[in-house]
Amino acid sequence: MLPADCSRRLLAELRGALDACAERQRQLERSLRVSRRLLRAWEPVGSPTAEPTLGPDTQKEELSPGTPSPQDLKELELLTQALEKAVRVRKGISKAGAGNKAPLPKSGSIVTPATTAPLQLRAPGRAGSHASETKAPRGICQTKAPAKGHPQHKPLSSGDRTSQERASRTTGPGLGLRDQATAPPAAQPAPEAFTLKEKGNLLQLPAAFRKAASQNSRLWAQMSSTETSDSAGATATAKAQFLQKMQVASGLCGPRLSAAEMEAEVRRLQKACWLLRLRMQEEVAAAPTDWKQELRCLLTLEGLQAMVGQCLHRLQELQAEQQLGPWPVGLPPRSLSPCGEEDPSWGPRLLLYSSTQELQTLAALRLRVAMLSQQVHLEKVLMAELLPLVSARGPQGLPGLPLCRAVHSLLCDAGERFPTILRDEPTG
Amino acid sequence: MGRRRRGVDRTPGAGSGALPEAIAALSRALSAGPSPETFRRAKFDRPEAAPALWQLLFRVLSPTTQAGAKASQGPEAQVRFVKAALRCQGYPRPALAQLPEDGSQGSRELLLALAWLLARGPLLEQLLARTRVRLGDEMTVCECEDVAYDGASVGLPALCVEPNLHVDIRHVQWLMGKLRLRWRNLVSSQQEQCALLSKVHLYTRGCHSERSLGHLSATETELLRDPDGSRQLLQALEQENARLEAAVQWRRRELIFWQWMDTVLDSCPTQAPGAAPQPMFLPRITDRGPRQWGLVAGELQALQEQLQAAARPRRAAWEAQVRGRSQDPAWSTTWRAVRQAVDLELVALQGAWDRSGTPAQPHGPHRLVRSESGALAGRGLWAAEAIRALRSKEACLEVALRQLQGQCRQELARLVGTLSGFIWIPPPGR
Repeated sequence: MLPADCSRRLLAELRGALDACAERQRQLERSLRVSRRLLRAWEPVGSPTAEPTLGPDTQKEELSPGTPSPQDLKELELLTQALEKAVRVRKGISKAGAGNKAPLPKSGSIVTPATTAPLQLRAPGRAGSHASETKAPRGICQTKAPAKGHPQHKPLSSGDRTSQERASRTTGPGLGLRDQATAPPAAQPAPEAFTLKEKGNLLQLPAAFRKAASQNSRLWAQMSSTETSDSAGATATAKAQFLQKMQVASGLCGPRLSAAEMEAEVRRLQKACWLLRLRMQEEVAAAPTDWKQELRCLLTLEGLQAMVGQCLHRLQELQAEQQLGPWPVGLPPRSLSPCGEEDPSWGPRLLLYSSTQELQTLAALRLRVAMLSQQVHLEKVLMAELLPLVSARGPQGLPGLPLCRAVHSLLCDAGERFPTILRDEPTG
Repeated sequence: MGRRRRGVDRTPGAGSGALPEAIAALSRALSAGPSPETFRRAKFDRPEAAPALWQLLFRVLSPTTQAGAKASQGPEAQVRFVKAALRCQGYPRPALAQLPEDGSQGSRELLLALAWLLARGPLLEQLLARTRVRLGDEMTVCECEDVAYDGASVGLPALCVEPNLHVDIRHVQWLMGKLRLRWRNLVSSQQEQCALLSKVHLYTRGCHSERSLGHLSATETELLRDPDGSRQLLQALEQENARLEAAVQWRRRELIFWQWMDTVLDSCPTQAPGAAPQPMFLPRITDRGPRQWGLVAGELQALQEQLQAAARPRRAAWEAQVRGRSQDPAWSTTWRAVRQAVDLELVALQGAWDRSGTPAQPHGPHRLVRSESGALAGRGLWAAEAIRALRSKEACLEVALRQLQGQCRQELARLVGTLSGFIWIPPPGR
């Protein structure tokens, strides 16, 4: 069993590390839920519900408060033809299969008005979208210039439609038919189940949103430019003078370090220690061949010693500063200036990747670096806590052995492997 | 008092409304800050201006995640928090610490504190960036957020541990294993998320109104799916735009404010020089800072001892050698040359940690943009470069970890060697 204060500190560190991991996981889960949902089938906002069959009249009334433009009508015409063809193809298939003959003749007539419904997806009732834009700014899905996209859509759509129909039949009523209590089976023309994969490149952000977003980026750009403009020179001097006066008026001799600065200093010194140690190991490992190299080695080692002395001195200065007051309650020092705010350019920062593989590599490396730095920190903490325990128990012998074994595995192999201890019995 | 003309505070060369306008812009940029009248009262240290300013400082200084929780604790807790946070930032004036905790006084001191925060750094930009509406799928490549994650959980766990708890080493092993498992889960979730995001970007190619971005982000696609979310996002964007406009206006009129603040500072009674700053006796719940300090101090001292142990015998050997040679003139020039070379090297080494941070490293969250053609070169950070930088960091960290583990191995072998009657067989490999 470990002593109480050691236990407390170890538990605090380890639980902190576990909580940090859990927090990351929670955030990831949130984003994962969103992404998974987006890649299933869903309805873009403002589109007519893709239930094309029963009650098409009531649905149609909700959908198209205005009259479609002539171009849209032409489009509808073409698409209707494509759909009718698709239905004919399916008729042939379903005749061979389930044989729901009765609804079929109706399906022809149902198809036409029904297709106007899903087609609202494509040819936006531009009228419809105008009308709703005057209402609350709801996102509305519009297509791009139909003339441009249309020739490609036509051959695609029938293919899409039939495959979707098949898919919807095989996967069951599912997606497009959720509001339909009595959906006619098989003869159902394609519920226009929207999937990002097939229709993703037809999406367009709502106009109100686009306007707000562009204004936002313009204003942020303005913020960074006003900082660097020349007229800010007088303001900068005024601010500096004010700070100076504050310092003088407070009666302190020098500027106090903020907590964040102090932490940065400590980290700097930690980095210094590591670099100095590396250098020392290089020098000690090298075998000097002539007296010049011996001299160099000696002078370097003594120089390193002096630098370590300076670092220790600086550390003691920081300690003295800190004596003026302990760290405040529950106030993480970095909370007030998280990263990204030191960068003066508040404009858009992009990270460009070219393939899924690259993105995954980047993300995995990112996590690996975070994990390794946590491991290094924990290793130091464990060393500081556990090594003294082992050395204290050494002379006692047997009671310390399980502890030695556990400590060795934790410190030297990250808990993955264990040493073996054999009792050395004298023979005979 | 109410009939006193605002012109009394008029600084030469400014229009009569310029200062209130500047302050109004500042308040709008801070999102619902106190009115210019409150500021004016604060200059004369009127008590009625104090509560509004305490609340403003509380809002400005608390991190967004904790603001809600702390706000419910009442005005005394807010006052204590503001005092602690300003101390943390290095606020120089001791008068702040002496203000009563019921939040009824000290409006002039608070006004000075606010001005101090504004003067020291880009406070407005930082506040706006903290709550900035993120439209893209963001990823950070620097490590600053790691510290934020670790720091966020620092205060609480220690509270849950009873003071006299003894822990078995096996519990420690179990916790370490649990940590390893959690990291593994994290990595696999992250890989899935990357794959999904990549698909979303791929499928929405060509949709974005901004040609330079090229495709929608998951956030933007989500708002096409979810009308409520879309409304909220739009509202948030519009609010942010309003604050940004106010901040731009403030920037244009700042100078008048600073001239006025000079007069405020002058109207303060002068501090007695040499008055000892009162330390704040707050119970130390988390000792992360001092622990860090302790670790570094221990490392440096150990290093110094090792250097001494390495240098002393070499110096002795050298002294013995040199006795015969000091007469040779050529030798002394060589000696000086070697000395200079060593000094230069050491100075360069010191530069490696003296440099304030790594300037080349990009900070902060970046918006992910899929771009196969390379058409967006120059507009952002390339994933390949970020990967390179991360790999070198990974290598450094691995070296550091191996070195620490090697140290432990040696130390344990030494300690265990003192036990007699046992054979110690370390695990194979590595």
